[in-house]
Amino acid sequence: MSRAWAIAIREYAAFFRLPLGWVVTALFIALSGVFFTRASLAPGEPATMRDFFGMWWGLLLVICPAISMRLFSEEHRAGTIESVLTAPVSEAALVFGKHLAGVLFLLTMLAPSLVYVALLGWLAKPDYGPIVSGYLGLALLGSLYLSIGCLASSLTASQTLAFLATLFALVALDILPRQVSPALPERLGRLVGGIAPSLRMADFARGLINSAHAAYFVILSFWFLAVCVVILQSRRWR
Amino acid sequence: MIRVRNVHKAFGTVRAVRGVTFEITTGQCVGLLGPNGAGKTTTIRLVTGFLPPTSGDIAIDGHDTVEDSMAARSLIGYLPESTPLYPEMRVWDYLDHRARLFGVGRAKRKTSIGSAAEQCRVADVLRRRVGQLSKGYKQRVGLAAALVHDPRVLVLDEPTSGLDPTQIRETRSLIRTLSRNRTVLVSSHILPEVEKTCDRVIIIAGGRVRADDSPQRLIEASGADVASVACTAQVFAPANAQREQALGVLRGALPIGAEVVVQPAEGDWTTCVIRGCATDPREAALAALVRAGIRVREVSRATPTLEQVFVNLIEQEA
Repeated sequence: MSRAWAIAIREYAAFFRLPLGWVVTALFIALSGVFFTRASLAPGEPATMRDFFGMWWGLLLVICPAISMRLFSEEHRAGTIESVLTAPVSEAALVFGKHLAGVLFLLTMLAPSLVYVALLGWLAKPDYGPIVSGYLGLALLGSLYLSIGCLASSLTASQTLAFLATLFALVALDILPRQVSPALPERLGRLVGGIAPSLRMADFARGLINSAHAAYFVILSFWFLAVCVVILQSRRWR
Repeated sequence: MIRVRNVHKAFGTVRAVRGVTFEITTGQCVGLLGPNGAGKTTTIRLVTGFLPPTSGDIAIDGHDTVEDSMAARSLIGYLPESTPLYPEMRVWDYLDHRARLFGVGRAKRKTSIGSAAEQCRVADVLRRRVGQLSKGYKQRVGLAAALVHDPRVLVLDEPTSGLDPTQIRETRSLIRTLSRNRTVLVSSHILPEVEKTCDRVIIIAGGRVRADDSPQRLIEASGADVASVACTAQVFAPANAQREQALGVLRGALPIGAEVVVQPAEGDWTTCVIRGCATDPREAALAALVRAGIRVREVSRATPTLEQVFVNLIEQEA
């Protein structure tokens, strides 16, 4: 665990040592500000952040691949993966540490948006329950997207390729089922729609903390991270 | 101690390492030599636990690199080829990170980093970013990172690549100091450097160990076979007739079987190369030339080097 934490600390700090981390954060804060003023600060609208969280889903679709693309690709490109994996660090600790760093960075990016919550509380009397569950949903959704990003990044030494592969995978996982499910018979449509993480996220934004949804995010994240561990271990079988 | 026993490594149909066996005890500094594609880097990756062997076993101080990988890895300080580092990190932060990965406790970390930085002469750049350092400094930061947890075994892949002559001398001296109470395995292409740094040399070619002994013994053992072990005599011979005379004098004075060859003249001086003598022919050659009234500028014996031993072994392999 201490090794995974050491990996996470280094990786988290690296986001702020590189321009990429600041650019992504700036973009995220700017766009979330626009979303907030359009979705939650409209006159006559209820004091909720439901639409705001809904817009953030689309933003995470692009932001998460940008966060995860360098996690393993850069180690492969620079050859530092050899230094790391000849230290007493298991592949699982490396993957867990990197993913944790990504999630912590995402949460750091989300933190400034708490100002909007304070602003909403100052201007109106919002129901804080859906806001808390909305943030929980975003964290779980982000964690899942980042685990897919980790997997894509572990497969290539090119950051660009890792970004595009993650984006493609997220679109396939999230947008396709949303588009396809309405055209299918009701039961099959519900099954296919259930694949889309963003549809489950919508319940969190409404204030519903569904344990099945939470389990879906956690299990799927672990599954992608486990595949990532196997990919890194596969150098031993080749 | 490093123990490698009948290790094979195959990548698909390519057999990179075939039955490599050696043992390196504490206090020994061993050079691993071999041409590109000989299996040198694969051997190093097997020893460091980055790759598992297809068959055979490797142990570091008794810890198997596959069965007890974490314990084995924690005993090794490794500097990979081309010194991969994180350019965005400060040197202190990087060394601190490496110390954490090796489980060096918070209380000991500061001392460990200070000691490794002192030994590798990077104490003056601890606050600078790795990416801003010169190649020489980066190499030393890599070495400090390999030392930060005070490992019992050091594996260094091309530790002096990219360094200037002064830095090479300093690094060589550092490696010698470090090997006093450690097991050191150094891979290098620079043969004179290995000759000066290492007590023992392992030459690998075609994935097999071709030679394993001290540089001196390898040279002595190969001496009789090395064609270029020879004497040279530089004589004053401005004209063709004088060259022929010197050649005749040398052939007459030396025992049967000795071969004398005249190299192209350099101005008025010509070098005669003598080969194939069982004993040192210098005295006999000099006496004969002086008796014949031929002016001699130099008579010398070319001693074989590790480089010649290496080239011979590799040529045999080819």
